Amino acid sequence: MKRNVAIIGGGQTRHAARRHDVNQVELVNEAVRAALEDARMTMEEIDTVLLGNMEFFEGCHMTDCWMADGSGAYGKPGLKITTGGTVGATIVCAGAHHVASGLFDKVLCIGFEKQEEGDTGAILSGVAHPLYGRSMAGAAVGYFAMMATSYMAAWGAREIHSAMVAVKARQNARKNPYAHLKLDITIQDVLNSRMLAYPIRMLDMCPASNGACAMILADEKTARDRCEKPVWIRAMDSAHNEQFELDWRDVTTQKPIFSKVSAARLYRKLGVERPADYFDVFEIYEPATWAEMVWYENLGLCEPGEGFRMIEKGMTEIEGPIPVNPSGGVLSTNCIGASAMLRVWEAALQIRGDAGEHQVPKPVRRALTTAYGGTNWTVLMALSAAARD
Amino acid sequence: MPEPELIEIPMTVDVPYRFSAGHFMGRFLTELRDNGTFFGIRCPRCGRVQMPPRVVCAVCHVPNTDWVKLGLEGTLAGFTIMYLPLTDPTTGKPHEPPFAYGSVRLDGSDSVVDHLLHVTPEVAHIWVGMRLRAVLRPQKDRIGDLSDIRYFEPLENQQKPEPKPSRKEPSDAR
Repeated sequence: MKRNVAIIGGGQTRHAARRHDVNQVELVNEAVRAALEDARMTMEEIDTVLLGNMEFFEGCHMTDCWMADGSGAYGKPGLKITTGGTVGATIVCAGAHHVASGLFDKVLCIGFEKQEEGDTGAILSGVAHPLYGRSMAGAAVGYFAMMATSYMAAWGAREIHSAMVAVKARQNARKNPYAHLKLDITIQDVLNSRMLAYPIRMLDMCPASNGACAMILADEKTARDRCEKPVWIRAMDSAHNEQFELDWRDVTTQKPIFSKVSAARLYRKLGVERPADYFDVFEIYEPATWAEMVWYENLGLCEPGEGFRMIEKGMTEIEGPIPVNPSGGVLSTNCIGASAMLRVWEAALQIRGDAGEHQVPKPVRRALTTAYGGTNWTVLMALSAAARD
Repeated sequence: MPEPELIEIPMTVDVPYRFSAGHFMGRFLTELRDNGTFFGIRCPRCGRVQMPPRVVCAVCHVPNTDWVKLGLEGTLAGFTIMYLPLTDPTTGKPHEPPFAYGSVRLDGSDSVVDHLLHVTPEVAHIWVGMRLRAVLRPQKDRIGDLSDIRYFEPLENQQKPEPKPSRKEPSDAR
């Protein structure tokens, strides 16, 4: 990058299924105020505001325009960004590029979603091609169910393995005061929960949350002057897939799909040979339990077909050697437009040592985050405690 | 000031659209309607047969030129049994649960098509690798839309293969 970029502050709202105590602008402002307070900054100091959410989930276009009060964008340059489930990370990526280029020194990034106000399934169906496949495109659960049947058929994993992922997420969420689903559940509870789309049960899926996240990025001089614990964005990468193809749902595919391509490129930028050793913690975008096991494999934390053995051995628990989603992840909180930003913010908290009860016990110096959404798109970010690492 | 009453205002936004099928999808849909056949298109560089046909191969970004007639039979690549009354966004009506649907790779195609499966919606009757055949609407009823495929049904004389060798059941350590 032309200039180093640091995360110098951030904040999130309380996430819940019901947030009718606030409207959309008030929800966004809750996160913005938390981020400014964390960075000990005022709105006057912010150069530009980037904001995003899922297109039309709340029935409003151009949220950047009519939220200019609550977002703090009044009188400032800014952008609205929308890239589906990845949007939260795309906003951070765009913010980092603006700082790295030298265009701005202090950028406020905001992602939000108020799912309770619209019909998520109905709007999501608009992601599918209008003339091909839309009749089957009513919900993400069916998509991940197909990934699951492919995974089970290919590798011999069983429902108990996805249940282990479900338990890990919700037990971690109990340690995260902001998380939505803080559930004290067992594997048996998951296996007894209602079948939604075979083999995905209620507790295998993410909730529909309301919430927002905001982060402040800055150049190196500002970060060193203003911030005690800056977290440095060391590398970013993103990759698209094409529509109409199975790709992520066919776990044996030999195609260079988005997740593997993007990870390989990011590792090459940093010279990473063994990602499980290089990074100390991972915050990944797993809307369903099976996606978490596929991410382990696609990120090279294990061999293809070994993801379910990692969860079986407890390797990705908070106390494990390769902690994944100590925050509880998307499985515990999915305010979609904020979810990918929450991955980055939670990873930054881990590096700062500020994650509280869900802080990983081993020293955390580096973290990797993923996003997922759109027609199979990802945004990966590598964070570090050191600007030159 | 007293705490305000937290009110919510219901509203429905109903927007009509007219989508252009375009050159490639247009031919695909009219062939399906008039002749009951599926067409894919082959990339002149990588040889990948894509269905539905499209203007360029996404991987190679070269124009697709080579139309390929495909049969009605294929293999199941992934499936689910849906227990939710999923709304069909193209009709606004729910599919009646439980129902099975899956991704079918037609023979000779590298792509899949997602559609309903005409099988008993139980795991014992559906598996990845199952052989299937597309059942279309009668010609007089076809409209040039993917709904001209009624469903995919299994070919005769198939048996679900034995599951992968079972491993020791991991215990609930929590």
